[in-house]
Amino acid sequence: MMYHQMPIPSRSEHLWRYTPWPRIHPSKPDTVPKADEVIFSINGPQELTAEPHSQKPQGDIARAFLQAAGGSSSRIRLNDEMEAVHINARASGHVSVGHLHLEVKGSAVVFLHISGEPEWVGLHITGTIHPNSHLAFGFINELDSNTKFLRCEDWGLERDSSLEHASLSVGGFRCKSDLRTSLNGTGSSIRQSITVNADGSRHDDEHVEIHHHHGHTQSDLVMNSACGGSSHFIGTGLLTIAEGANKSNASQVFRNLLLSPNARAEAIPELEVLADDVSAAHGAASAPVDNNQLHYLMSRGLDPQEAESVIVNGFLYDAFSNLTNKELLEEMRTRLTVHLECELKR
Amino acid sequence: MSDDAQEIIGDYKYGFHDPENSTIRFDKGLSEQVVRDISELKNEPQWMTDIRVKAYRHFVERVMPEWGNCSLLNMIDFENVTYFLRSSNKTEKSWDDVPDDIKNTFDRLGIPEAEQKWLGGVTAQYESEAVYHSIREDLEEQGVIFLDMDSGLKQYPEIVKKYFGTVIPHSDNKFSALNTAVWSGGSFLYIPKGVHVEMPVQAYFRINAKNMGQFERTLIIADEGSSVHYVEGCTAPSYSTDSLHSAVVELIAMDGAKIRYSTVQNWSSNVYNLVTKRAVAHRNATVEWVDGNIGSKLTMKYPSVLLKGEGAHAEVISVAYAGKGQHQDTGAKVHHLAPNTTSNILSKSISKGGGRSSYRGLLQVTPKSTGCRSKVVCDALILDEDSRSDTYPTMEIGNSTADLEHEASVSKVSNDQLFYLMSRGFSEEEAMGLIVNGFFEPFTRELPMEYAVELNKLLELEMEGSIG
Repeated sequence: MMYHQMPIPSRSEHLWRYTPWPRIHPSKPDTVPKADEVIFSINGPQELTAEPHSQKPQGDIARAFLQAAGGSSSRIRLNDEMEAVHINARASGHVSVGHLHLEVKGSAVVFLHISGEPEWVGLHITGTIHPNSHLAFGFINELDSNTKFLRCEDWGLERDSSLEHASLSVGGFRCKSDLRTSLNGTGSSIRQSITVNADGSRHDDEHVEIHHHHGHTQSDLVMNSACGGSSHFIGTGLLTIAEGANKSNASQVFRNLLLSPNARAEAIPELEVLADDVSAAHGAASAPVDNNQLHYLMSRGLDPQEAESVIVNGFLYDAFSNLTNKELLEEMRTRLTVHLECELKR
Repeated sequence: MSDDAQEIIGDYKYGFHDPENSTIRFDKGLSEQVVRDISELKNEPQWMTDIRVKAYRHFVERVMPEWGNCSLLNMIDFENVTYFLRSSNKTEKSWDDVPDDIKNTFDRLGIPEAEQKWLGGVTAQYESEAVYHSIREDLEEQGVIFLDMDSGLKQYPEIVKKYFGTVIPHSDNKFSALNTAVWSGGSFLYIPKGVHVEMPVQAYFRINAKNMGQFERTLIIADEGSSVHYVEGCTAPSYSTDSLHSAVVELIAMDGAKIRYSTVQNWSSNVYNLVTKRAVAHRNATVEWVDGNIGSKLTMKYPSVLLKGEGAHAEVISVAYAGKGQHQDTGAKVHHLAPNTTSNILSKSISKGGGRSSYRGLLQVTPKSTGCRSKVVCDALILDEDSRSDTYPTMEIGNSTADLEHEASVSKVSNDQLFYLMSRGFSEEEAMGLIVNGFFEPFTRELPMEYAVELNKLLELEMEGSIG
């Protein structure tokens, strides 16, 4: 369906329970404002080519809206890349929208940095990872702290391909992400790590769907959030294992660290399993900073604030520990360190 | 039993039924007049009639839930349900006075034997009203009130009026509105301050008529410092047309009180079991739901606890077995509304033969509730490739001092475990049966003995033919 034909989704759907569509829409839900283009640039020899906007009917209101809003649309083809590819997405204007499609044959490491100060940014990333190809993808959200941000991602993984996906969400004041991966080929796998550092009155809603359509597929999701101030973090996950997708292995872990009395966190890790010979597990935990850990660090000379900062940093770094690609791991940790140091100086 | 029904259910051990011998039966369908007639027939006070009518109007206006198994829910034809049926003209006090055919049914459920042994009291719901009620004299002497809900309303209207609908208002959901409009029977239990009821208090519920809705209403109040264990079981004969069971159960545990509510439901696989169960736990009170779901076509049941007073504790242990054509949509909800409240939820489910089991839970900590702790564990076994298991947990944490954990796993029976048992001489089927019984053991050990025995037998029956 096209955007104007779609009803506003009910809050009984987990996807829209805590950030209903009217709260993330740039203005009124029955309007589609004229969007400026998110400008994509690349630091290497690879080429970004302009791509006509897809006219395919969308099954989801956020994607249909981004399609209707237009904005920029680019495609990048990645073969065996020797060096990491850095794509910068610069958003400007009042409402800014960009569409990017990645096609991977071989192995590649890609970082996408989004920055800018528009009032509203929408980004739709799609990716196809061809058979026996491997992508390590890092997403760094460094948008202005007054920006509303809607991000949709759709990844399709073919036979024996793999995706390592890391997100660092520290920008924007109201963010809604809907990240979906389809394991379409036998032997495909995804490792996904999401780190959220929320403070002030930041609202960050991360929805992750991983669909095991075939057997012998693997997924591993870790989502860590540290919430301070009066921030609100929402982590929802939907893990499905289709009928006949035997020998699949899936796990998801959500951890929330609550740092202030007014911070809030929600965790909804859902499982739908239609195959019997599988291993699927999820866990969620929410807790304050452990007093024993604080005491330990303070007994070694740190003041309470420093001690808490060390614990929070360690907790956020830990979300990336399931990544196996060293380049991805190091870059994401570096970015996180820079962010935390800047925050400490503020 | 009609020939067609007999043909469908065969010799299903727990699927017997007695010829209907009802003395009052309303026409099918629901209207405001039916609601008023039920109230008039029961000679209820005006305030109850008003609540019923208000609830009926809300039921009509309220849309069906847009979540869960909507395709099955939307198949319910509310106009094809009988909303009131009275089997016996009076509520019996002595077992000898109960009509033979009704007594025969209860005999087969084992109630008299259980009562003779050590049960505190019996009130058995047969279709819409209780036909038998007894209570040990020593409990009566302590001031314990254990009546069917209709008698409770007649004899203690002031208590019923004070608490009725306070935990689950009629506007809570569509089915609580339906129940409030047409409720009939159920239990009314009041435990005075400081009284500890040592023996479990028991009630059985049955549906015996085709397209008969059963809408019992249970209200349990444990006054300060008291304790009680209430046991409710449901078994139903199998029929070829659908039945609707929509109960409302309200528990109120005052300061320092403890209520344990155990239930095993084994409705036949054509029954919609859409139940709202909720408890309020005041300061230092404990509420425990021990909940087993074996039967029904669709069960939607999420026992809840509102931890309203500081130091209150909730415990929910539930198991679900989803066989062919069944969807067990069960779970638990705990709302931590006060500081230093704690809760534990353990949920186990088995799906087999194309059945679907879903865990749907909510754990909420409000901003003022400091120092709360909770742990949720969900384990699911899938026994064949046609079956399905879902987990939909929700954690809403509004306080930074809360310490909450949730873990869930879905798997099949481990080959190592099967191999181990078979290497010790068990057949594959026996080994599977042992593993399944062991899987449910945390639940069965919390049940009174005869319930645990019945549950194990039911599981054995369900597991027959699961290998090969």
